[in-house]
Amino acid sequence: MTLDEVKRDQECEIVDIISEGIMGQRLLDMGFIPGTRIKVIRNAPLVDPVEFLLKGYHISLRHSEAKKVEVNLL
Amino acid sequence: MSSKSDKIVVALAGQPNSGKSTIFNMLTGARQHVANYPGVTVEKKTGSFRQDGARIELVDLPGTHSLTSYTLEERIARDFLLNDKPAAVVDVVDASNLERNLYLTFQLAEMDVPLVINLNMMDVAEKRGHKIDIQKLSRQLGAPVVPTVGNKGKGKERIRETILATSKKGRAAPFRIDYGDKLEPILDSLEKRLSEETEISGRYPVRWLAVKLMENDEEAQRVVRKYSKKSGTILRLAEEKREAFTLEHKKSPQKVIAIARHKEAQRIVEASVTRKKEITSTLTDRIDQVACNRYLGPVILVATIYLIYEIAIVQGYRITEYTWPVLAWSRDLIASLLPSEGFIFDPFFRSMPLWVVDGTIAVLNYVPIFLILFALIAILEDTGYMARMAFILDRIFRHFGLHGQSVLPMVIGGLYVGGCAIPGVLACRGIKDEKARIATIMIVPLMNCLAKIPFYVLLVGMFFAAYKGIAMFFIATITIIIALSIAKILNLTVLRKKESAPFVMEMPPYHLPTIQGVLRRCLERTWLFVKKIITIVIAVSVIVYVLIYFPGISKERKTHYISQSDQAQQTFFEKTGKDNSYTGLMTGDNLMEFTRYWRDYKKAKMGAKGKNAKEAIDQEFREKNFEFFKIVKKGKYEVKGEMIKDKHAKKVYNAYKKLSKTTNKLRREIKDETIITSYMGRAGRFIEPLTRWAGFNWRVNIALMSAFAAKESSVATLGGIYQSPPGEKDTLEERIKEKEKGWTALHVLAIMLFMAMYPPCIPTLLMVKLETGSTKWMLFATFYPIVLGIIIAVLVFTGGNLLGLSGMQAMIAFYILALIFLVLMGLIKREAEFI
Amino acid sequence: MRKTLTILMAVLALTIFLIPCAFAHTPLCSCSDEGDGTILCEGGFSDGSSAAGVEMRVLDSTGKVLIKGKMNEDSEFTFKKPEGEYTFIFDAGPGHEVKVPSSEITE
Repeated sequence: MTLDEVKRDQECEIVDIISEGIMGQRLLDMGFIPGTRIKVIRNAPLVDPVEFLLKGYHISLRHSEAKKVEVNLL
Repeated sequence: MSSKSDKIVVALAGQPNSGKSTIFNMLTGARQHVANYPGVTVEKKTGSFRQDGARIELVDLPGTHSLTSYTLEERIARDFLLNDKPAAVVDVVDASNLERNLYLTFQLAEMDVPLVINLNMMDVAEKRGHKIDIQKLSRQLGAPVVPTVGNKGKGKERIRETILATSKKGRAAPFRIDYGDKLEPILDSLEKRLSEETEISGRYPVRWLAVKLMENDEEAQRVVRKYSKKSGTILRLAEEKREAFTLEHKKSPQKVIAIARHKEAQRIVEASVTRKKEITSTLTDRIDQVACNRYLGPVILVATIYLIYEIAIVQGYRITEYTWPVLAWSRDLIASLLPSEGFIFDPFFRSMPLWVVDGTIAVLNYVPIFLILFALIAILEDTGYMARMAFILDRIFRHFGLHGQSVLPMVIGGLYVGGCAIPGVLACRGIKDEKARIATIMIVPLMNCLAKIPFYVLLVGMFFAAYKGIAMFFIATITIIIALSIAKILNLTVLRKKESAPFVMEMPPYHLPTIQGVLRRCLERTWLFVKKIITIVIAVSVIVYVLIYFPGISKERKTHYISQSDQAQQTFFEKTGKDNSYTGLMTGDNLMEFTRYWRDYKKAKMGAKGKNAKEAIDQEFREKNFEFFKIVKKGKYEVKGEMIKDKHAKKVYNAYKKLSKTTNKLRREIKDETIITSYMGRAGRFIEPLTRWAGFNWRVNIALMSAFAAKESSVATLGGIYQSPPGEKDTLEERIKEKEKGWTALHVLAIMLFMAMYPPCIPTLLMVKLETGSTKWMLFATFYPIVLGIIIAVLVFTGGNLLGLSGMQAMIAFYILALIFLVLMGLIKREAEFI
Repeated sequence: MRKTLTILMAVLALTIFLIPCAFAHTPLCSCSDEGDGTILCEGGFSDGSSAAGVEMRVLDSTGKVLIKGKMNEDSEFTFKKPEGEYTFIFDAGPGHEVKVPSSEITE
């Protein structure tokens, strides 16, 4: 499944990043690498974007961006 | 290392939110200088400090998470490190977020510049229960590690010493990340090839270059192409290796490299950092539970925006009531140094310089508002709330090609009571996405600028008096509606080619901003603005003056006016009576002197605030010329505690009042005639065939143009142009309606909308140039509103006429139309940006 | 040649639009008791713009509107002096208001 399908308060582990180019690089740079655990903190009041917690810091992604992250639910 | 004048250049790098600016301020204090990196809009801050006799120049590089070549900021940081060859680079690291920060540290280390690790925000790390073994960390990284608490100034001495010591070393400690046994051999072979090319190996660290080539880095490829003789072979080799690697391992080399870096960071952190307690929820988390809450979040957002607006615009404007007298005083000072005014004509060397001065202080009047706005923006940025705003609003703004962060500039540009596009455009600086940033910059001037409000009120009062509230609401909100639609259109057309940046946004922990930091930023920016703007304003003022006041009225007309004025003076003397004791004081040149006294007195009284100030002015003028004083006080004044009622003085007062009225009327007539026959007036007539469709005939054109140039309220100018023959007492509306049969609320609506879309004033345009870095955009920002304004005005006027709509009907119809258009625009999907 | 000149002038004239917000002004107002039962108020703006056409209001001590009107071509407004305390308001729009209480209006 992809990160945008993970629900609030759920935790998951990254399997892979399905994007090349600047988008993929950005995600990698920010720590979205295979093996990392992510927790979904909340959605914005209008549902998109979504706030995630990984490795002690918070990153928000748009749904379209979270779609590029393949995860396994924990 | 520069060997001239003992100046040691050191770079300051770090990820965003690591406290880099605070460290920069801490180290350099007041000795700072802000400029732009050559050719781009990114701010370059340099500062200096002395340590043990050496002078160190610190260059603040843009904060970046990584050092790819995807964004301008990263490229700038890289270029500086590679080309400017600083003696050392200080990496400001957020100690509470060590693992992620090291990702950048490694990349810096690979660039072969002596490294100093500044472990900042130690207090936050401690609060989070992190215990860091500094020695161990330093050993693992092969670089000195200095802990600091930037916003408290802790560690200042030590880091300065370390910087000096490191920069003297001259060589960076060798640092390598093991990228895995699958990649290392490839890197080795690339390194060997590159080393053979002396042009390259002399300039760039080959290891770094090899890694970058495997990352498919564009800039690295460009460098190879430029300096290598066998660039084709090397690049092809890199390409082959990359493809082969990806095929074999199902992962691209850049992914493997990124992962390797993170893993190494993880390893180092696990070795050097012990986590005492497991923090479940920090203060930031708890605040965010409210700030980003589904229902409360938007409420808090609106409240915050409203607060900013209220403090900066509304209260800021109130402050100008106190600062204005200072500006007025300096204007009067200059006026007193110029050749004196005449009765109905003023000499060129008075009226032109005064014109320029007036234009300049009109802009300077805004400075208090700027100061407050810049301070508030700085606070928002520093606290971290800005990111939350973007988080909440992104969804809506995205549909129009804007960014969540676009909201603040738009608010600053003006909501209901007005705003100012100048700081509004500046506030766009924080928007990372270039496409959205430029779009925001382009539409901020469409907001309700403070300057436009009185104009709307006047026109609404004139033609929509019964529906004042609705009309004001209409004009205040229509600008936002149109602005959003325009943003979308820009996004789909002119900005199409620009790259859209990924949103991927960090939500930093909340921070208390330092007063120093905020003040420094706000003063810096205001000063920069004043410096840049004033020269241009002066230059343009001169040009405009020539356009409006030349060629001037003919000699015959001048004579005509002079004879009118002479007549009025005759009447004055008749009215005062032959036996009036004051008559002697008013003859010949004295009349002109009295006139100046009278004008000065009125002006001073107007500018005075409060009873005490008014009394002080009375005192001042009494001492200046007691006889004149008696007259302006209508013959009622105090002598030795007794109130005197001087009938003669009163008579002179009444007679003079009439004279003054006539004189003012003559002045107005002269001005209007001058304008109509001026170059600008001719232009107004020239463009009439086009503007007719918007309902503007040449008189209206001139009225509009002069309203903004001649500084007469447009209503007065319209009044001047529709001069009623002497004796008639028609009101302005009646006069207009007479002259222009069929000039209705529709005309006015068209005018108002045109004014709403008005191109930005010069200071704003300068801001646009600064923030976009291109004259092209500045010109675009100048002309597209004119086109837009005309289209809308024509649509409303001609359309309204064809459909036989009344002013109100057209207003409502247009509003609905605009809303529908907005929704449609919002629904248009942009093409997918990323694969 | 003439045509080009006129076009040039027209374009130059459009630079009028680029002047620093000409309405960038603070509203100003001063009133005085004429001594003959009327009050004369003069209005203006800090950048020298005239206030002709700007709306005026006179409120009594309870806030009720006693008199409404507009500044004339000379940026002046004359009205009969009301009984008791009153307030004179120069209203050039939201945020551009000047209030003058009767206590400040002297001869």
